[in-house]
Amino acid sequence: MAFSRLELIFILGLSALLLRALPQLFLVGKNFSENWDRLLRYLSYALLCGLISITLFMSGARFEAQAAPYRGVALAVTIAIAYKTKSAVTGMLVGMVLVLIFSWIR
Amino acid sequence: MSFSARFRQGMKAAIPIWIAFVPSSIAWGIAAQAHGLTLNEIILMSAWVYSGPAQFAVLVPLAEGKSAATVLIAGLLMNLRFLPMSTALAPFFRGVKRVPLLISSHVVSASSFIVPYLQFQKERAASGGSSVADGYGNLGFFVGIGATSFLVWVAGTAAGFGIALGFPPGFEEALKFILPGYFAGLLVAEMKGWTMPLICLASIVTAIPGALFNPGWGWLATAALIAVSGWVLEKWLSRA
Repeated sequence: MAFSRLELIFILGLSALLLRALPQLFLVGKNFSENWDRLLRYLSYALLCGLISITLFMSGARFEAQAAPYRGVALAVTIAIAYKTKSAVTGMLVGMVLVLIFSWIR
Repeated sequence: MSFSARFRQGMKAAIPIWIAFVPSSIAWGIAAQAHGLTLNEIILMSAWVYSGPAQFAVLVPLAEGKSAATVLIAGLLMNLRFLPMSTALAPFFRGVKRVPLLISSHVVSASSFIVPYLQFQKERAASGGSSVADGYGNLGFFVGIGATSFLVWVAGTAAGFGIALGFPPGFEEALKFILPGYFAGLLVAEMKGWTMPLICLASIVTAIPGALFNPGWGWLATAALIAVSGWVLEKWLSRA
């Protein structure tokens, strides 16, 4: 069954609302064990990192071999700067400038 | 304390969240425009899904017209973290009717969870447990944070869309780097212990072969497998 983008966004929002609302409506007084909490956190971290990777290095089903090295360098610099300055925005801005410079040089 | 007084307290406590939301919402708006989403779709997603990581997770599959199941499962997996957040907040809203709870739960996010949660715990400790009974007051504080942060998020994404339109040609590479770069920076700033960096590194490396093996599901499956493996390994090592 094919959905339009708007329909998909609507279903996504509905599922997000259910995940947010159900515990408040039906799980008052219950607790998630720290173990499960950690698994869900790891899951979202792993998914985010997987996404970072495919967003930067893939175009559809194709690996962007030519652009991958400089995007990889920009990502590494972004991570190093964000770690050093504790600022995601600073890291992102430096990475952006690097990507731009590399793409112009190429 | 009344709902409105607690709401105002929540608004004051939310100011750092607003500041944090401005760059991330603008980054999301710019990236979504660069991936070809319309202003209506961007605003609808920010207002109705209201989850930065999930919006990022579905952006590429949605823009590239991947299967509906890929988009929905990516978003769902990312949003699973709302379950423990919402569950942890629930005891502090004791006595509140279901309709206000249903409406207010829409603004649960990582930031709008942690600030009120810590505040409620502090108040409970200070009052010897009685503040838990003030469900409507606590809800006012939570909504003061959540609803105002929500408005900043939605307005920021619309602003991001407008900013992206103003970029001259030749900046596409930089625009597409914004969201992955921002999330990489956020993740690094939150890293603790050895498990998270290891999971992140393994996910970054294995997502590519995963996506090459199966463009729709490969990266999702490898990321889920790595998260579960890291979790099991950590449990096993802590027992050993």
